[in-house]
Amino acid sequence: MEHRRKLFITLVLAITLLGSSCWDRRELDDLAIATAVGIDQAEDPNKLLMTVEIILPQNVSTPGGGGGQGPASLNIQSQGTTPFEAAKRLTFESDKRIYFAHNPVLIFSEEMAKKGILPAFDFFIRDPEPRRTAWMLVAEGKAQDLINVQTILDPITGLYIEQLIESTGAASQIATLMVQGFLERLMSPTTAPYCSIIRIKGKENNKSMELSGTAIFKKDKMVGKFDYKEGRGLLWVLGEVESGIITVPCEKEGNIGLEIIRADAKITPAIIDNTLKVIINITEEGNLGEQECPIDLTAPEAWQSLERKQAEAIRQEVLAAVKKAQELNADVFGFGEAFHRKYKALWKEQLKNNWDEFFPDLEVEVLVEAKLRRTGTTTKPAVPE
Amino acid sequence: MKLEGGQISPGQIIFLVISFCLGPILLKSVALEAGHANWLAILLGLAGGLLIALLFTSLSIRFPGRTLVEFNEIIYGPLLGKVISLTYLFYFFLLPTLTLRLFGDYLTGLIFPQTPMVVIISLIVLVSASAVRNGIEVIARCSQVLLPITIILLFLAAIFSIPHMKFNRFFPIFEVPVAEFLRVSLFTSTFPFGQSIAFLMILAFIGIDSKKVKMARVSVMIGLIGVGLILNLLVLRNRGLLGATQFIEVYTSHQALGLIDVGGVLTRLEIVVTINFLSMGFIAISLLYYNTALGMAQILKLRTYLPLVLPIGILMICTSITQFENVFEYQHFSGDITPLFALPLQIGIPILSLIICKIRDLPKKE
Repeated sequence: MEHRRKLFITLVLAITLLGSSCWDRRELDDLAIATAVGIDQAEDPNKLLMTVEIILPQNVSTPGGGGGQGPASLNIQSQGTTPFEAAKRLTFESDKRIYFAHNPVLIFSEEMAKKGILPAFDFFIRDPEPRRTAWMLVAEGKAQDLINVQTILDPITGLYIEQLIESTGAASQIATLMVQGFLERLMSPTTAPYCSIIRIKGKENNKSMELSGTAIFKKDKMVGKFDYKEGRGLLWVLGEVESGIITVPCEKEGNIGLEIIRADAKITPAIIDNTLKVIINITEEGNLGEQECPIDLTAPEAWQSLERKQAEAIRQEVLAAVKKAQELNADVFGFGEAFHRKYKALWKEQLKNNWDEFFPDLEVEVLVEAKLRRTGTTTKPAVPE
Repeated sequence: MKLEGGQISPGQIIFLVISFCLGPILLKSVALEAGHANWLAILLGLAGGLLIALLFTSLSIRFPGRTLVEFNEIIYGPLLGKVISLTYLFYFFLLPTLTLRLFGDYLTGLIFPQTPMVVIISLIVLVSASAVRNGIEVIARCSQVLLPITIILLFLAAIFSIPHMKFNRFFPIFEVPVAEFLRVSLFTSTFPFGQSIAFLMILAFIGIDSKKVKMARVSVMIGLIGVGLILNLLVLRNRGLLGATQFIEVYTSHQALGLIDVGGVLTRLEIVVTINFLSMGFIAISLLYYNTALGMAQILKLRTYLPLVLPIGILMICTSITQFENVFEYQHFSGDITPLFALPLQIGIPILSLIICKIRDLPKKE
């Protein structure tokens, strides 16, 4: 009996240790980890060109030194009628299987974005491997050129772009969206998706890249872009402004920089005299960040007028964004969904299918409550009394 | 003649009910046909489920210490009683094959695309078979260990997902026609709540002490309320994380938890869903597997159910693999057809049994 028991345990151990994950084992050294995926239109109009950046682990330097010479990543390309076909063909060029699960950025060329990204987008949400937490981007020009840029701050381009996007909160002038957020907006009958735009900066051997604005989509087609000011206007309405500087002019010359500390927004839809109206309430708190003019701003009246200027500046940014969105007829703010939540019956009967007719003429009122709290480490500017 | 020497307490019934009902549903949001009102549909379904539980526990109170198979023969006579018991056993046999199929589709679909489904399903059945051979006490203790882990993980996941939620996603609440809402609620009360009728086989092991038997009824109720609350936590979490995209997901919870990011450190929490589903699904499958084996042994008047365990397991593996060609057949069957034949078993026959008991004044005192 004792003997049989020992035999049994040995057998179980042998099976679990040797037999585990015979199928679907994925060894790290057999995988090529994708860190950026770019989709371009190929020369053949029926095909698309997929550019994938993969890490070369042997060349990535570790904190304790080490790491090899040469580039830390490699770009490979393939063509296919669909992204999945192109992705499978990548193995023609790579001796390892391309692994999409850690891909942080998904870049579409502007040309693709204007044609509509939905056909190419489906693979990235349907396949279990690519993550929905990757960032969506539109590249000015070609996505492949962008991925080919040798970035200096981070040797791996994809991770560099990810860092760029994750630090946009410092200025809050670029709206960013992940694949999941983009998908959610695509599924709304009225709300328009958006994502950041990235472009190459510099020439020849001195290339780098910068985020240059926010791409605005209508359904799955890119219809226009927001510049920095309009971008922050959008973020004010969405309540996603983290930090940034609001510049207001001094009375005579120079400017005052007001640092945004926190902000929030509330969208209230209303129907007044049979016309649709949206009231946006924005609350903001800021600090006096810098001043160029030699005026004492810490007196109560000056301080209050500064608060008013700040509120007006925010209002102008929001109005600029609203105006542009109405020109493009793309409801990036989610006003339609706000009506959906409040006026269910009206939404179902009229608004849902005709939102394109209502949105451009929608009356928008912006109410800003902006406070200034602190002045930093000094009070008055450094001028003799 | 006693086939099972084990005894369980009313407290263990609570654990068993919760793990049993949660087993097949942790992967997906329930009652999505009711749109944004699905959490209301679940509450209404819970009310229906409690009524079903009241109904079938009054049978177990009438026949303390006797299983469904045993008292069916008392109520309907030896032949008809056996036929009705076989119908129930077929239902108990079919439910775990659905869960097994879900296991197989989920693991092969998302995690092990190249692994044959039969391997995954066989492994789970093997573990369950071992639990079944050890009897109801072991299954109950397993649930006492696994359920707290599951609930803690569910709560942690819910807390971590709060920063990613948008309040707007919960509104507007009620958008479906009332008739559709009621249909979904009714289906929700048959599944997952109503499937607790399987406990007619288990409640017999509480013993014949009438106080304990009455406590067992309360335990089933508490368990079902627990299931309703956990289920609401689950669907509200998924709604808050996914918004409208939850309507196109195959595995809602899996996709929702994938979005969680706690400081860039705690990411990719989908594996939590897999762990929860595996542990609760194991209890659900084992319990029904046990019911089938025990019930079959009682119908055939065997001295022990042990020789039936492996054959039934093999049948379960084969059925779960061959019953559907693809995912849609599965969704159609488990979503639209199962409730239709579950309703008579969960409501019709118990009512009929109670009426017959009243008329014939059963059980007769000896």
